[in-house]
Amino acid sequence: MAKNIIEFRNVTKRFPGVVANDNISFSIKEGEIFALLGENGAGKSTLMSMLFGLYQPDEGEIYVRGKLEHIDSPAKAASLDIGMVHQHFKLVSNYTVTENIILGIEPIKRNLGFLPAVDINKANAKIEELSKTYGLEVKPTSVIKNLKVSEQQRVEILKMLYRQAEILIFDEPTAVLTPQEIDYLLEIIRNLRDKGKTIILITHKLEEIKRVAERCAVLNRGRLMGILDVATTSTKEMARMMVGHDINWEIEKKPAKFGETVLRVSNLTVENEEKLKVVKNVSFEVHRGEIFAIAGVAGNGQVDLADAIAGLAKATEGTVTLLGKDITHAHVRERNTLGLSYVPEDRHNVGLILDFTLTDNLVMKNYFKPPFCKGSILQKQQCYAYANQLIERFDIRAANGGDTLVRSMSGGNQQKAIIAREISENSDFIMFVQPTRGLDIGAITAIREKMIEERDNGKAVLLISLDLDEIMSCADTIGVIYNGELLRIAEASKISKNEVGEYMMGVKTDG
Amino acid sequence: MDKKNNKPKAFWLLRIFGGKWQFLTIPLLSILFSLIAISIIVLLIGKNPLTTLTSLLQGSGWLPKATYAAHKNMFTDFTEFLDAMTPMLFASLAVIVAFKAGLFNIGVSGQMLLAGFMATIFIGYSSLPSALAWPLVILVGIVMGAIVGGFTGFLKYRFNINEVVTSIMLNYIIQYVVSFFINTRYVDAVSRQSRAINPAARLTIVNFEANDLRFRIPLCFVVAILAAFLIYLLFSKSRQGYEIKAVGLNPKAAKYAGISVGKNILLGMTLSGALAGLAGVTYYLGYYNTIQPNTLASMGFDSIAVALLGNSHPLGAIFSSTLIVTLTKGSTYMSSIVGVRQEIASLITGMILLFSACRAYIKYKVDLKLSTSQAKGSERGKV
Amino acid sequence: MNLVIIDGLSYALPLLIIAIGGIYSERSGITNLALEGMLGMGAFTGGLFVALFGDSFAAGSNAPMAFAFLFAAIGGGIYAMLHALLCIKFRANQVISGVVINILSVALTGFLTNQINMSVFGTSSNKFPLSVSPRITVPGLSDIPVLGAVFTNFYPFEVLILILFGIMWYLLYRTRFGLRLRACGDNPHAVEAAGVNVERVRFWAVVISGALSGIGGMCFAYSISTNFSPSIYFGAGYLAIAALIFGNWNILPTFGACLVFGFARSGAYQLVKVLEMSSSVTDLAMTIPYILTLLLLAFFSKSNRAPRALGEIYDRGKR
Repeated sequence: MAKNIIEFRNVTKRFPGVVANDNISFSIKEGEIFALLGENGAGKSTLMSMLFGLYQPDEGEIYVRGKLEHIDSPAKAASLDIGMVHQHFKLVSNYTVTENIILGIEPIKRNLGFLPAVDINKANAKIEELSKTYGLEVKPTSVIKNLKVSEQQRVEILKMLYRQAEILIFDEPTAVLTPQEIDYLLEIIRNLRDKGKTIILITHKLEEIKRVAERCAVLNRGRLMGILDVATTSTKEMARMMVGHDINWEIEKKPAKFGETVLRVSNLTVENEEKLKVVKNVSFEVHRGEIFAIAGVAGNGQVDLADAIAGLAKATEGTVTLLGKDITHAHVRERNTLGLSYVPEDRHNVGLILDFTLTDNLVMKNYFKPPFCKGSILQKQQCYAYANQLIERFDIRAANGGDTLVRSMSGGNQQKAIIAREISENSDFIMFVQPTRGLDIGAITAIREKMIEERDNGKAVLLISLDLDEIMSCADTIGVIYNGELLRIAEASKISKNEVGEYMMGVKTDG
Repeated sequence: MDKKNNKPKAFWLLRIFGGKWQFLTIPLLSILFSLIAISIIVLLIGKNPLTTLTSLLQGSGWLPKATYAAHKNMFTDFTEFLDAMTPMLFASLAVIVAFKAGLFNIGVSGQMLLAGFMATIFIGYSSLPSALAWPLVILVGIVMGAIVGGFTGFLKYRFNINEVVTSIMLNYIIQYVVSFFINTRYVDAVSRQSRAINPAARLTIVNFEANDLRFRIPLCFVVAILAAFLIYLLFSKSRQGYEIKAVGLNPKAAKYAGISVGKNILLGMTLSGALAGLAGVTYYLGYYNTIQPNTLASMGFDSIAVALLGNSHPLGAIFSSTLIVTLTKGSTYMSSIVGVRQEIASLITGMILLFSACRAYIKYKVDLKLSTSQAKGSERGKV
Repeated sequence: MNLVIIDGLSYALPLLIIAIGGIYSERSGITNLALEGMLGMGAFTGGLFVALFGDSFAAGSNAPMAFAFLFAAIGGGIYAMLHALLCIKFRANQVISGVVINILSVALTGFLTNQINMSVFGTSSNKFPLSVSPRITVPGLSDIPVLGAVFTNFYPFEVLILILFGIMWYLLYRTRFGLRLRACGDNPHAVEAAGVNVERVRFWAVVISGALSGIGGMCFAYSISTNFSPSIYFGAGYLAIAALIFGNWNILPTFGACLVFGFARSGAYQLVKVLEMSSSVTDLAMTIPYILTLLLLAFFSKSNRAPRALGEIYDRGKR
């Protein structure tokens, strides 16, 4: 009988305004693959961050290998052989793979007998060996910012293995991978378990739990709902425990009825700051009543494409036409006025001004027009009235209503505010980039339903998402972007999820 | 459900420091801490802190002195104080406007100097009557300051040059160039400063006689107060103010909203420079009537303290400039009465600045304590 | 011509050591506009030592100068802790903190100099006089045309700076302290997750910048004015910042930038002399390093790569 390697007893953790973990107790056995299931915001990452030493519990105890431990820093966690692959990689972008891996435990050599220096060569060799042993191929001298997302993830995993971690925590590892890369990763996880490691998998993806995990703890809003034996529990039951009610994954979608072309992108090329082409010769159209979705692994040019269409990035070649008018070099405001709305990927740095009030943010796209503005004077009353309308219609929760500083609102409500604002513009074309990232199931379904509602109302919708399930369930037309090129455009019903995955990795090309 | 027991100690104290009254309590705290620190220093050098502080107030005309020179009394001291406060208020407004646009205008001294110099040589040395000279001086001040400020903003917008570095460079360039011209062409051999300007062009009426008193009339004091209110209205009610604030808080989001980032940075710095120019002419052709070569007015840097102390709020600047100018103006009298060195005034200002800079921390800690206690309360209420 | 090189070097090298201090701080993620205040405080501390204890040494001895540099480093380093405290513990806006430190330094050193002169010496002065620094010429090497000027009439502190330059370069690029420090400026979360205390690394980075700036300030005090006085605050700290921006936050290119500043200044000065213009024109010539800064910044700022996390307040809780 395998012994318990980790035990949580009555662990509680609070943050301003919320209880992230509420009196959680369970244990994890040595050598098992244990899943931590819950939707976004359930408290999974917080709990594991305490195991990794990034936070400390407000109440309760953590036992490692039967001994009570105070894990007050990642260094302490490392000394207990605990390692973590984070959801948002903790990598130094301009360092090499080796430098990232050895950071904190650098091997030292003595130049000229006494000058201490980092022994890079020795480290390079060791990492080369390590990567071969575990099947995590990566060149030690590559610089992180030049690596693909899946390669960067391998570096994160190697960091743990280099430190001889025995307990490996994976935080939402598959969020950024293609289906094929996911298969590969799950295989690696099984290998690690076979080599005697204990794996903790944090995820909200039920199918993956079914594929690798043995037992699973379900968290709901900070509380432990129960520990399940994965083999004997259905995904339906898991889902119900996770959310508290049955989830209907199928979204009702009327059959598509396309109207006129609203957006036409022709041979669009975009260069980034370093004069590299990040969008190459992309062409597609979006019609009224259509949801056109672009699938792709993060960093393949999607955001640059969206920014170019919206006017935030410069188009080097090609054209963008909105309802027949050429907007390729038009000012952002002109595009907005002509009928373009944009829900950007970056909520905090682009979509909102965090230190403005909710009202000021909700009128951000039309404060300059009557009735919100008379001459040069803002009409505060009108702004408030409009904001209150949106707050009610879209159920935006904010402590002081329109006067709340957006910074203090929750992520979900911030996103609701952005979506409320953009949809209420009533534009003919509306672009969503990663609209449901990090939100709970309730919000996710609500947003997807809104997108479909807009499409049914005759708007042209462009959806860019890293979530393949989202694309498969919402899209009428799917395009796949790889390395800045649109490799394939197909009707959603005529292309399979696996095919999309292959295009996402550049494996297939059109033709 | 007994929620009262869950509140941390001194909850009401925290409520005062957090929330709506923060804008008042934190500056008051900074001032208090600085005064305590200064009193300690004064005690250490063997002087009386109370007389030090009262003599500071006496020197600025807030309290009566023991004796007065002929034709002088507390009122005459006070108008001199107002005369000194006028440029400071303009200067701090300049800093505040730049802050709103997300920029740090540390070049106020240089902008002041150039504005003052240009106004001096073109209007100050002319023989225009006051009715023409005064508006022209103000105009030159605004224009010259705006040009330097706008140039700084342009360099930031076009070349992404850190505006602090630009401003400092311009400060030194202006200082050396103006010194060169004063020393070679406009110098008064006796005073080693620039030749005094024609009194008709001076923005302060000196030696105005009434009621057997001789006192100053700072002509632009009211203009400065008015400017503070106008700036306040600009940022709270106007569309342009909304745009400048948006650019200052988050240029990426502002661009996304269709706001022209470059134009607003330029506008912010130009307006800031114009205010600095007004500070310059009320300083060099108002409070003083000559320019000392090879120095930059310390007012340019003290105005940063004023702006921060006033929470970067245009109306708050009125109060904080009153305070800081009281310190600097009163320090001459104080040093003659108490024997404490004049420099202590700049030390007090420096300390106030220091404590103001910690404001973000106080706010952070207070907000943290408040919301954690709220979380505790809401948790107990959960079923 | 020789004078251009000699004077240029004696200006460029102190600027370099201050800039290296700035690089340490900024590469660790802390914006450091406080170099000006730190160099002044360092020069003040060194000058204070000489004023108080200079007489206890044998006349003509260079020991007081050596101690002055030591205390300048200590004074600058300790004063820098204030900036570190404000930026790291109190999460202040780092630009504001830097400017505040500078203003406070001018006020504090001015007040203290006057006060100490009055209480200890009974004089009313805002200066601490220093001995004249000897200048060294290496026989033989100094006879080489053009390059020989490098070995002629140089100050001993220039040698100190070159030694420090080598040490600080090695420390930043070859040791693990430097590896961790540079990582803090790119992704402090990565460093924390690797088990290194980011706040401690940044603290020492700022203290180092203070110590190096103090040494630079002391150099200027000895070479430009032979005393400590308020005129030490002539903008060297800001020129150093400009230099490190051109140098893209790397030590070697920054060296180049400092040389450009130094030679530009000495070149302009010599030009005025050679053309026999009046001494007021030197005022105009003095503007050259500053104008140059603006021009170079205009060309280089767009392409430079500041450390990614520079100026961001580090919040452990954020993920």
